Amino acid sequence: MSIMQYNGGSVIAMVGKDCVAIASDLRLGSQAMGISSHFEKIFPMTDRVYVGLPGLATDVTTLHHQFRYRLNMYTIKEEREIEPETFAHLVSSTLYEKRFGPYFIEPVIAGLQKTASGDFKPYIAATDLIGCLNFAKDFVVAGTASDKLFGVAEGLWEPDLEPEDLFETIAQTLLNAVDRDAYSGWGAVVYVLTKDKVIKRELKGRMD
Amino acid sequence: MASADGGAYSYSLTVFSPSGKLVQIEHALAAVSQGTTSLGIKASNGIVIATEKKSSSILIDDSMIEKVATICPNIGIVYSGLGPDFRLLVAKARKSAQAYWKIYNEYPPTKVLTQDIATIMQQATHSGGVRPYGVSLLVAGWDINRGPSLYQVDPSGSYWAWKASAIGKNMVNAKTFLEKRYNDDISLEDAIHTALLTLKEGFEGHMTEKTIEIGVVTVPSEADLEAGKIEGTGRAKATFRKLTEEEVRDYLAM
Amino acid sequence: MPDGSFSHPQQRQFNPYSDNGGTILAIAGADFTVIAGDTRQSEGYSIQTRYAPKVFRLTDRAVLAVNGFAADGNMFVKKVKQRLEWYRHAHAKDMPLRAIARLIQTMLYAQRFFPYYVYNILGGIEEDGSGAVYSFDPVGSYEREACRAAGAAQSLVQPFLDNQIYFKNQAAAPNQSHPAHLPLPDVLSIVIDSFTSATERHIEVGDGLEIYVVLAKGRSAQGLEGARGIQELSTKSDGDRVFVIRRELKKD
Repeated sequence: MSIMQYNGGSVIAMVGKDCVAIASDLRLGSQAMGISSHFEKIFPMTDRVYVGLPGLATDVTTLHHQFRYRLNMYTIKEEREIEPETFAHLVSSTLYEKRFGPYFIEPVIAGLQKTASGDFKPYIAATDLIGCLNFAKDFVVAGTASDKLFGVAEGLWEPDLEPEDLFETIAQTLLNAVDRDAYSGWGAVVYVLTKDKVIKRELKGRMD
Repeated sequence: MASADGGAYSYSLTVFSPSGKLVQIEHALAAVSQGTTSLGIKASNGIVIATEKKSSSILIDDSMIEKVATICPNIGIVYSGLGPDFRLLVAKARKSAQAYWKIYNEYPPTKVLTQDIATIMQQATHSGGVRPYGVSLLVAGWDINRGPSLYQVDPSGSYWAWKASAIGKNMVNAKTFLEKRYNDDISLEDAIHTALLTLKEGFEGHMTEKTIEIGVVTVPSEADLEAGKIEGTGRAKATFRKLTEEEVRDYLAM
Repeated sequence: MPDGSFSHPQQRQFNPYSDNGGTILAIAGADFTVIAGDTRQSEGYSIQTRYAPKVFRLTDRAVLAVNGFAADGNMFVKKVKQRLEWYRHAHAKDMPLRAIARLIQTMLYAQRFFPYYVYNILGGIEEDGSGAVYSFDPVGSYEREACRAAGAAQSLVQPFLDNQIYFKNQAAAPNQSHPAHLPLPDVLSIVIDSFTSATERHIEVGDGLEIYVVLAKGRSAQGLEGARGIQELSTKSDGDRVFVIRRELKKD
């Protein structure tokens, strides 16, 4: 079995109308055995940038610390908060530094990007474990349930969803996908980002 | 103070004199104040940096001399002092800008690049086997965070933000002139003319497009910023550019 | 060696199986069943043909979808059809759906140690007039279900079906329950959505879509007759009836 499947877990991000959502399951496993149902893998990097880190659990922690360190340095040096797109490239270059001994993580980034006119534009991206960026206009997925997430998201997602509808769409996509994945599940968490607030909801799901 | 022969603390290594001075740095500043005059003016809608370009012989092909240098699409610099030292700093600054681009897929804000250059210059005052850089720089750039900004960096590694400044041989007179002429809502066009007038004050010989170099920072429109993200190239539209000889000639004629 | 002898022992192996991609799916309604499959047949990254049917009418009340190794699938369908014809000669009637399901199990298990490398989904109408779907693994393990996806895009489609057919993870409105069966138009749009989604994200799915609809005896074909690209395949109009709807899918 691949090291990418060792601990299990999945993350998805979706674009809505002037909002974005990012969601993940809460399982931490050791192969087929469940260890924890409170293992969060989505982290706020700023008020407007969130990152999901599905993959090998030890690398989830290490990379989270690594990103927090690099982001603190950036914020102090530049005297400003990072934008989602800039952060995505920071993630990409950080991962590529370890091109031949990678972190076993496929990050998902979701945020609201400040435009030239001062508005906020939804931004999502995902990378592979060595930092190849994938920008998408609709949704990005990663983790052990990625193929299931693709299938359900492709069927449920539609353009310009309002925050509450986006929440419903991403929650249903995640829940139904992880229910068909033995390595993901055990509860879920959803973040919906809008220009004036972030909503975090913890979801109950099948516990088998 | 630096004596004519260099004094007792004039080692190649930068060391303190008992009075607390770093004499090597003062020598470096002396080199700067012998250099040709350069200046920068921040306007309401941009920045101009300019310098005079004098060659010691009419036989020199002065079209090949570059004193205003582009570091990255949004930042340019000009210097007074030792030309070869400037060349090295340009190379290092360009590398720094590209290293930043490689990490963030965007060019550094003016302040960050200025800090990088200042750090390089400071290190030369702190390391063995080297001498300080014999140049002062004017760094002009635009970024989305701070808009147009103009910095001066000195051989010691100190830097300041200016609305307008001058460095080099005629800096004292030029600054006085600028103080009289400057106001906060000057337009870029007016700033360019003021820059030329200021240079003219201390200019020996004839001011032509061959003996003047100008670089300008322009503030991009929202449309320019969107267009900068053209798919495929991902290259931001340049906000710093050097004026061509034809453009300089036209400004001189006005 | 030039003389034809070998200095080292050599091993050669023939792999009799191949994976020809594609996806199939079936959904049972109260008095109808929909069985669908795409028509792309591929091997590795090559498309062998853009039209290779994977769904077959067995009788006026039974339709079989086969997915996996196409050669095995075609041979298996051929043998099932042959057994059904023998049944007709012996009994002067079509075999009931649940009997076909058991026959398929027997035929698959007969090859337990050299299996037909195919996943079967049998859909149709039971003797009681209800819609039914039976799904099989390659060696004959089977169960009756309300819906099933199989093949290359099973992992993409099945969770979507769980959500849309079984209403998994959806709470019913207060004092109400989810319907056990969906109406035909809803089922047809779910089937089409499933295949367009699978086509979008899976390279082995696409080209064409064949949707078989089996209607229980006496059920009106209303709403179906107007469908674009529909064709009736039943032999009698007064019993269970079979229709096929052919649609295009993206070819990239």
